[in-house]
Amino acid sequence: MSAIAALAKTQSKVFLREPAAVFFGVVFPAVLLVVIGFAFPNATDPVADFGGRSLVDVYAPTAIVLGLATTAIFLFPVALGGDRERGILRRLSTTPVHPRALVVAHLAVQLVVVTVASVAAVLIGKLVFGIAFPASLGWFIVSFALGAVSLLAVGLLIGAFAPTASSGQGIGMLVYFPTLFFAGVYVPLQVMPEGVRTISSYTPAGAAVQALSDSWAGGVHPTSGLLVMAAYAIVAGSLAVRLFRWD
Amino acid sequence: MPVIEVDGLVKSYDGKVVVDGVSFSVEEGEIFAILGPNGAGKSTTVESIAGLRTPDSGRIRVFGFDPLEDRAQVRSRLGVQLQESRFQDRVKAAEVVETFAALYPDPLDVSSLLERLGLSDKADTRYARLSGGQQQRLSIAVALVGRPRAVILDELTTGLDPQARRETWGLVEELRDSGVTILLVTHFMEEAERLADRLALIDAGRLVALDTPQGLIDSVGLEQRIRFTTAETVEDDWLRHLPEVSGISRSHGEIVVTGDKRLLFSVVSLLASHGIVPARFQVDQTTLDDAFVAMTGRRLATADEESG
Repeated sequence: MSAIAALAKTQSKVFLREPAAVFFGVVFPAVLLVVIGFAFPNATDPVADFGGRSLVDVYAPTAIVLGLATTAIFLFPVALGGDRERGILRRLSTTPVHPRALVVAHLAVQLVVVTVASVAAVLIGKLVFGIAFPASLGWFIVSFALGAVSLLAVGLLIGAFAPTASSGQGIGMLVYFPTLFFAGVYVPLQVMPEGVRTISSYTPAGAAVQALSDSWAGGVHPTSGLLVMAAYAIVAGSLAVRLFRWD
Repeated sequence: MPVIEVDGLVKSYDGKVVVDGVSFSVEEGEIFAILGPNGAGKSTTVESIAGLRTPDSGRIRVFGFDPLEDRAQVRSRLGVQLQESRFQDRVKAAEVVETFAALYPDPLDVSSLLERLGLSDKADTRYARLSGGQQQRLSIAVALVGRPRAVILDELTTGLDPQARRETWGLVEELRDSGVTILLVTHFMEEAERLADRLALIDAGRLVALDTPQGLIDSVGLEQRIRFTTAETVEDDWLRHLPEVSGISRSHGEIVVTGDKRLLFSVVSLLASHGIVPARFQVDQTTLDDAFVAMTGRRLATADEESG
C-alpha cells in the first residue's frame, strides 16, 4: 500500500505540472458549462424539447462526462503509453513491487481528478446558473462512479498495449471524439434522432449522460444505463487486465 | 558461492537464436563485464538474469535464487539499470529516487545518495532538464536506492560525452570499492578494459572468451609493435639480427618494428648501444579490440565512433 501511495503522490505532482492536463481534465467541464450558459440566449429558460428543462440543465451531465472522457480516454492512454515507452513499467518490474502498482496509482489520481472536475461543474451550475443539485443524489453518485469506472476501463484497455505516448494519443483520439458525440457534446442527446440516441445509450458515455440526467432530475431509476456502464467496465476492464503489456 | 550464475542460457525470438548456450559466473565484489557488439545478445542475457525474460533453457541463479521462481528474493538484492530507461519529463530528480525508495523495505537515504552521485544541486530539477550524464547518474541512483548487494548496469555510458563517461566510470569504481558486485554490459572496449576485473566476450549469442582483460589480450598472442623516428641512421640489419624482431618497415620517416613481448627492451637496448636517442618513440598497446578482431574477425565500436 505504501508503494502505491508513494507512486500516487508522485503521479499527482506530475499531473499538476502539466497545465494542459489540469485545464482539460479539471477545469474544462465547468468552463464549458459557463460558456454554454452565457453564449446561448435564454440558456437557463425551460425548453419544451428538453422536457421542460433548460439548456444548462441538459448540458451539465454532458459536461461531467466530457471531463470523464478527457481524463480517461484522452489523457490516461497517453500516460500509460509514455510509461511503457520510457521503460518505466519494465524498470518497475525489477523492483520488489509489480508495475501494476503504477497503474493503480494512475487510476487513483484520475478518480480524484474526475471527481474534482465534476463537483466543480455541479457547483458552477448551481452558483452561476442556479440549476438544482441532483434530486436523487445516491443514484447520481452511483451513476458517476460507474461512468468513471467504465470510461477508465476503456482508457486502460487502450493503454494496455499502446507502445508509446503518441500511439496512446492516436488510438485515444479515435475513441475520444465519437465518445464526445455520443455524450451529446456537439448536439444534446435530447434532440438527437431516435436511432442515434439508441446507439448512444449503448455507449458508456451516452449511458453515463443518461443515468446522470435521470438521477439529476429524479423520479426515474437509471437502471439500463447503469447496466450498460457495468458491462463496459467488466468487459473492457478484464480485457485490459488480460492484454496488459508490462514491457 | 558466486553472486550470479548463468549456465547454458539459451533464448530465441521468432525462431532466431539470440543467446546460444552462454555460461559464466560473477564473483562477489568484482566488476564483471559482458562485452560484445550491438545485437550480440548481451541485453537479453542480463534481462534474463533480472527475471524480465524467460529463458528457453539453461539455469540462472542470483544469490542462489531463481529470478523467475523467487522473484522477491532476487529483486530485493539485485539493482538493475536497464538500457534506454527513462523517467517522466516533469518528475523532479529527488522525486524519482524517493518514489523508487518507497518500493524497497530498507532503502538508502535519498539525499545522501543524491549527494554521493553529485546530484544534490539537481534534486529539484525536472528530469527533462537534466543533462544526459545527470540522467544516467539518476538512473544509477534508482538502481542503488534499494541497497542492492549486486547491480546490473546495461550500456551505462552510451550517448554520454567523454567527460561524463569518465565521471560515470569513476562512480562505478567507487561502487565496487563500497562492496557492491557489478555486472556491466557494454559494447565499448575502452569501458570494459578500464573497469572490468573479468569479462565475458559475447558474439552472435555465443560466449567467445572469459578472462581478465589482460589475460584475454595475452591469450591471442598478438605481436608487439614499436614505432620511432630518429634523425640518425638505423640499419635494418641491426634490428633484423635481434631474435625478438619479426618485421621491420619504414614509412614517412617512421620505423615500425614488430615482434614478441620482449621487443621493447631489446630495441631500446640496441638504440642505446649505438648512442641513438629517438625523437619520438611509441609502443602500440594491444587492445581488447585487437583481441576481439583476432577471435571473431570483426571490430567492436569505440567510444569515439559512437559519440561522434
